[in-house]
Amino acid sequence: MPAPFDAGVSALWRDCEVPLPLAGRDKGWGSAPSVKQRRDMLCLLAVIAPLLPTSAFAHASDRGHVLLLPTGYYLLGGAVAVAVSFLVLALLPATAPARLWRRRLPLFKVGEGARLAVSLLSFAVFAALIVAGFVGSRDPLSNPLPLTIWTLLWAGLVLVQGLLGDIWRWLNPWYGPWRLAVGLLGPRAPWRLPAWLGCWPAFVLFFAFAWFELVDPAPDDPARLATAAGLYWLVSFAAMLAFGYRPWSRKGEFLTLFFTMVARFGVVERTGRRFVLCLPGAKLFGAAPLAASGMAFILLALSSVSFDGLSKTFFWLGRFGVNPLDYPGRTALMGIGAFGLVLTFLLLAGAFLLAVWLGQRLAGDGVPFGRAAGLLVWSIVPIALAYHVAHYLTALLVDGQYALVALSDPFARGWNLIGTAHLHVSAGIVAGAHSAWWLWNVQAGAIVAGHVLAVLVAHGLAARLHGGARGTVFSQVPLTLLMVAYTVFGLWLLSAPAV
Amino acid sequence: MTDRKGFFDLSGNRLSRRTALKGLAAGAGLAVAPGFVRYAQAQSSEPIRIGFQAHRTGIGAAYGRWYERTTNAAVKAINDAGGINGRPIEIIVEDDGTDAARGAEVVAKFANQHKTDIVYGTLFSHVVIASAPTAGELKIPYYVVSEGYHVASGKMNRWCLQPGITDVRAQVTSVAPWIAANAGKKVTMIFPDYAFGYDHRDYLPPAIEKAGGKVVAQIAIPPTESSFTKYFPQIPAETEVIYHVMVGPAVLTFVKELGDFYGSNGPKLFGFIDSLEAVDINSPGLEYLDGSHFWEGSPRYAQAGDSEAEKAYRAAVGIDDNGAAVGDAKDVSTAAHMFGCWETLYVIKKAMEDASYKGPQDRAKLVEATEALTEFAEGPEHPQGKKVFNGKIHQVFGSQNISKLEGGKLNVVHKTTIEDGLYEPEADYTTQPL
Repeated sequence: MPAPFDAGVSALWRDCEVPLPLAGRDKGWGSAPSVKQRRDMLCLLAVIAPLLPTSAFAHASDRGHVLLLPTGYYLLGGAVAVAVSFLVLALLPATAPARLWRRRLPLFKVGEGARLAVSLLSFAVFAALIVAGFVGSRDPLSNPLPLTIWTLLWAGLVLVQGLLGDIWRWLNPWYGPWRLAVGLLGPRAPWRLPAWLGCWPAFVLFFAFAWFELVDPAPDDPARLATAAGLYWLVSFAAMLAFGYRPWSRKGEFLTLFFTMVARFGVVERTGRRFVLCLPGAKLFGAAPLAASGMAFILLALSSVSFDGLSKTFFWLGRFGVNPLDYPGRTALMGIGAFGLVLTFLLLAGAFLLAVWLGQRLAGDGVPFGRAAGLLVWSIVPIALAYHVAHYLTALLVDGQYALVALSDPFARGWNLIGTAHLHVSAGIVAGAHSAWWLWNVQAGAIVAGHVLAVLVAHGLAARLHGGARGTVFSQVPLTLLMVAYTVFGLWLLSAPAV
Repeated sequence: MTDRKGFFDLSGNRLSRRTALKGLAAGAGLAVAPGFVRYAQAQSSEPIRIGFQAHRTGIGAAYGRWYERTTNAAVKAINDAGGINGRPIEIIVEDDGTDAARGAEVVAKFANQHKTDIVYGTLFSHVVIASAPTAGELKIPYYVVSEGYHVASGKMNRWCLQPGITDVRAQVTSVAPWIAANAGKKVTMIFPDYAFGYDHRDYLPPAIEKAGGKVVAQIAIPPTESSFTKYFPQIPAETEVIYHVMVGPAVLTFVKELGDFYGSNGPKLFGFIDSLEAVDINSPGLEYLDGSHFWEGSPRYAQAGDSEAEKAYRAAVGIDDNGAAVGDAKDVSTAAHMFGCWETLYVIKKAMEDASYKGPQDRAKLVEATEALTEFAEGPEHPQGKKVFNGKIHQVFGSQNISKLEGGKLNVVHKTTIEDGLYEPEADYTTQPL
């Protein structure tokens, strides 16, 4: 019997839990130069650049300090830790971890009344930020829009969601306006989303988001980001009016889908109006199998953050003949970036499906492949969250300070709204050998802990699938090997020479 | 923080952002006053708008942060003293992402959208090289602080100028006599195998030979290399000094492995601080550098004989005696290069005053006025030292510092003369039409 799990989250994911088609039941910015001008300039640059002398400012950077650390031992230790946790689990009764992780500590009750007000406030702040994106400072480290979206929301809130629970449910800037709109227009959405669509719209939009973040030349440009974020809000809002708030939030609005996915790992659970405390990852034990689109969505969450790390390594750049010491900038690497984003997704998805398939063969008890893959994919969530922590930690520490300054004076008018306008941004917090040491340890700790928890979650889910100890353990051998490999890969990404 | 509010974020002697904005708000108020007042205002104190092409994100962000702080400090100092022709400077920041293509877009944006008077502040060569054609096409003066030889080489255009920082060719040429006379006559060069390394590869040997020495080996290291021990046996035994200009994250590994290779009996070392800009020179792994010498454009550490101008400059920018941010000892500055921002802004001021610059219609006059400049005296406007400007190649020349790492600090042991770095000009931009 699965443990109770977050009702909202489960409802949100239910629409992704449709049958697999192949596997049976279970189964502008600005006034930039013209295109021609730009093409001409790039051609000229390509021709003359190698002939011209250049100064070299490839910064020795804090990765230089990491290169001197005994990271090889960490890679080995991380791999061993993940493998050993699997062996320990194999020796325990199959349902033992699930029993432990099913424990709950009731906390308090909260009504839904504030949700509308908080969401409307969130929308108002979002709207103000969009305005700031257009009329505020042009400097991405002074304008609050890029700092809020990329640092506070994408780096910060994901962390809070992951560690605590579904705060996004309240902060969602669509809910309040939608409630007001249906108050005027009536509650009935004119159209229904077809069931076969699953979460594919959200997958496509999430991919577009990842492309914008990792490949687009200027995702930090305030006006460019204001255009993208503003349009996304409008299109999503229109879709919510057209198809209903809940259906579109479950199938199309990728942020909500992503945040609720991450919240599954958090330690606060909501059952009705009551909040209860649980162990990290406990809510994942109660997950239902996902359809192909939901699986793809979770795998993309991990593959995209993995590619972000990979794309900056000397190894990756070297594969394409790009000199990392003379890094040309993102525009010149757009093709490689798009290719890499797709490639990492396909490789991860392929490796995951192969591991599950092999596991099913080893277990040999006839559990349908689609059901196994759809359920076990939830074990990727702790890994995705760990990668997120490791990857965005330094940005959060430094750009988070810039965000505090910018939010105090969002329109560059000399305001000091929250008293932080004159805060000195300490970049030294992440600089130097000492910082590099503790940052590396936090990052490595997060990666290893994420994988150990992933093994634990996968074990609990496998116990649900297979029942007996033998089937549970055998089915998990290939997936554990994949997780050991991904631990090493994750630690290598953080320790390899990179720009 | 920068942009409109940029010159308000200064560590140490900061201009209060609130105070400065009062000034801006007053200007804005006048701008919407009745017509004649507005006209009078435009003539007298409408800001000079400088588009700052900044490396706020991307590979150049660490340098960009310090270029921004230095820019803010210089703008504050200039504005406090009455601005340029009585008009305050307003900095408009656009991030180029340290991306060549975006650099060109940013220059176009400054010219067409923000309608700034000039564009200024670019560091990375590839961004300068991609942006200069746009500046030339749109006829907007483009003052770079890039250090590369690309401006002096004649391959940019009439609108691209480098009046505040010396170029790498002059730097390499001017340190050679000291190396041959003091470190050793038999030199082995170790450099990264791409354009930056080639500047050193090509310009050092003739200068060393002229000084009576000889480059006995040149070892080019592939840019993606992260372990160097296998290259060290190529260093000839007769080598008296190793000239190293490695850059990138593997520099610390390079130094450590070099130390492991030689122990206590190696040749002397001479390097360019470019390798370790913004990095604590006392970091673990760099122990082998103790006692070695470095080129520095401007000294990172405060020196015993610092002029009042130098002291005032360091205080204004907000760096302590160790060259780190005041109150943030781990935030080590890019001191060897960032003074170029300060000095460039004062050159712009001088040229605008000479040209009686009033607005974008005077941009060509501004270029001509800059080209007509010949000398900048050492002082508050040029704290790094006296400079000579060659208007034909749009390049400034100055003295270089050679510092010895001892006691955990870089102490200046020699200042080259300006003449040490002069070379035969290869271009004349003044023949190009404006």
